[in-house]
Amino acid sequence: MENLLELADVHKTFRLGPDQVQVLTGASLQVKPGEFVALVGASGSGKSTLLHIAGALEKCDRGVVLFRGQDLTKLSRSRRHFMRNQSFGFVFQLYHLLPELSVLENVLLPAIIAAPWWMAFVGARPRKTYALELLEQLGMKDRLKHRPAQLSGGERQRVAIARALINDPPLILADEPTGNLDPRTGHTILDVLTGLHRSRRQSMLLVTHDVSIAAQADRVVKLEDGIVKPT
Amino acid sequence: MYKIFLCFRYLTRKGIVVFPILAVWLCVAMLIVVNSIMTGFVDRVRSTGRSLEGDVVVSASAMGGFPYYQELEQKINQLPQVAASAPVISAYGLLNLPDYEISMGVQIVGVDPALESKISSFQQSLFWQYQAPMQAAADLKGVGFPTTVPKLVQYAANLVSRALDEVNRRQKAVDELKPVPPDAWFAGIREHWQEITIEDAQQAQAALEQAENDFDFVQQLPTSDSFADAAALTKALVPAVATFAPPPEAVNAYPTAQAEPQYGCIVGVDLGFYERDRFGNYHRPEGFRFTPVVLTVVPVTMRATLATPQTGQFMIVDDSHTQVFTVDSKTVYAPFDVVQKLAFMQQQQRLDGSIQPARASAIQVLVKNNYDPQAILTARDAIANLVDQFETQHPDLSFAGIRIQTWDQVQADYINAVDNERNLIMFILGLMSLVVIVVIFLIFFMIVRDKTQDIGIIKAIGGSEAGVAAIFVLYGVIISALGSLAGSITGVLFVLNDNWIHDDILWRIFGITIWNRSIYVFSEIPHQVDPITVAVIVGAAILAGLIGAAIPALIAGMQDPVEALRYE
Repeated sequence: MENLLELADVHKTFRLGPDQVQVLTGASLQVKPGEFVALVGASGSGKSTLLHIAGALEKCDRGVVLFRGQDLTKLSRSRRHFMRNQSFGFVFQLYHLLPELSVLENVLLPAIIAAPWWMAFVGARPRKTYALELLEQLGMKDRLKHRPAQLSGGERQRVAIARALINDPPLILADEPTGNLDPRTGHTILDVLTGLHRSRRQSMLLVTHDVSIAAQADRVVKLEDGIVKPT
Repeated sequence: MYKIFLCFRYLTRKGIVVFPILAVWLCVAMLIVVNSIMTGFVDRVRSTGRSLEGDVVVSASAMGGFPYYQELEQKINQLPQVAASAPVISAYGLLNLPDYEISMGVQIVGVDPALESKISSFQQSLFWQYQAPMQAAADLKGVGFPTTVPKLVQYAANLVSRALDEVNRRQKAVDELKPVPPDAWFAGIREHWQEITIEDAQQAQAALEQAENDFDFVQQLPTSDSFADAAALTKALVPAVATFAPPPEAVNAYPTAQAEPQYGCIVGVDLGFYERDRFGNYHRPEGFRFTPVVLTVVPVTMRATLATPQTGQFMIVDDSHTQVFTVDSKTVYAPFDVVQKLAFMQQQQRLDGSIQPARASAIQVLVKNNYDPQAILTARDAIANLVDQFETQHPDLSFAGIRIQTWDQVQADYINAVDNERNLIMFILGLMSLVVIVVIFLIFFMIVRDKTQDIGIIKAIGGSEAGVAAIFVLYGVIISALGSLAGSITGVLFVLNDNWIHDDILWRIFGITIWNRSIYVFSEIPHQVDPITVAVIVGAAILAGLIGAAIPALIAGMQDPVEALRYE
């Protein structure tokens, strides 16, 4: 089966003052359609950087990043924006919801970005029905008009997951989604993610340093010394 | 679409948005208020300055004036550009009020009131011959005839009351002037007291009859507020031309024992005889009108030597308020012919038997189409050519040093000073506005900085650099537009109600007086709202907001999403 995502020989160096820090030194990784891959590694090993490169948020210094056979490193800016909007769903450790928007508006934001400008004047809310469905599935139907500040950490992460799914992206990129939650809530969120993966057969690349969470994945890989190793 | 959506969410859900709106609001309102009041001030100064003189003034540098003025005036009147002209004599002298034991140095201006009324706003500056009847006309218009019966009754009662006041005032003036022999003093008073009730009754009856006549007169007056009717009403109440002649009752009341004044004169309102309240109203002492005065003129010969001072008996018939303090505080107007004689400027026979022609200090010229500055300049040039030719015919004119100036050249010192003040204030306000732009920039910069993580999120889910920048540019433009709109409405409303705000709010409630009418020349705070200036100020404010928002917006747009997401 053809890979959905393929990273080959990816290098990334950061400049920290006068020093150069080599984070990725030839990392390679593949994710197949419908596959749930967990990426583990010590703190500061470059897991998030690899995830950002995979999601076209960041560029690598060297190497190839193929998504459905298309090299993300060679795409134009506008194409990369489009890919981030349509092909990837990001779930962050710190939820990253917009505080001025309600739960429903936060979930709808990627769909609003994808919508044409004239929709603003006709007042249409693209994919609103789908957003309501998602929020109902995630147990957030009663919180539609709440602002992020009025939600608990677990609820915020559910909203972030719904936002990641609103445009039906082929790949979910989750960066320590339970890292900021207590163990019980963290497991609930993980159950939500694994449940969605099973029900939708949606590919997922999950970054974690928690081995027990990684154990839920179809495949676990480890980032060590700047390269990805099988466990 | 998301740009508009997010922009409106930030506008409606961020409290900080109030501050830049407030900054733009206040800045725009401040600029409109200051510009309108200063422009109004300059316009008022220009219009009063203009109404003082003819459009073109032919004057002599020499204090003794210039000869052949009738001939020159005749030639000037034949020019196609000229509508009318009037000679003027200006001399220095003394004003003496024997009854009040007051003497002061004044400028005595000799004018022909009928001619001068055509050329300048001389008649409009007079209180008794213009402003008081105009006020009466306004009062009559205010009654709104024909309206309801109670108003008519009230009006009739007012007329009777006014008539009685006037009768009493005149009687008092007559009584005060009547010489009473000391031995008959008490008898006179007793007799006076016995008679006064009968007199009063008779006079009240007469006043009532007069009031009824007035009432009939008023009923025939135009009733609507149209311009034509207002003009007709004014025409009915205001004398056709100004005059120096005192009314017959004033002449009759004058004690025959004293030297009778032969002529009337008009005094500047700011000569110091009247008190002026904080609302700018002059309080004319009762009986001050028709006070006898002595004018002493210091004649100056054509060769600028002084001659023996000449005196004349006059009676104050009116006062003049040109609204130019330097004029109103030192000028006394008297008939042209009389002043000419007192100043030794009439036609005279020299010792050698030759004729010394009559002289005038200036000829004021009214130009046709004088609304057009170019027409005035053309007329000035034509008059200058004429004067050049005239001087070749009359070589002795060269002593006089004749100048031909437009009205604004004559008033240049006065007008330019105010114009410079306005420009200086607008420059300072412009600098202050720059500070406001910087403040707006800083506020936007802080807002964008506060939104760094949001920018990372928006980019992570597909927002573009241009899209993020557009959110904040749009945000800035809307804030500036809202602030400008509010500022322009507030500024214009403030300016249009500046006198009300000053009198009924600042003074009545807080006891603050900023515009003290007893000091300023104008009785009201002048203003002139220029729609184009308002539009320019609003446009500049929106542009300032755009610039203030554009730089942080571009910085926001260029932010690396990963860095932005890490920002805390």
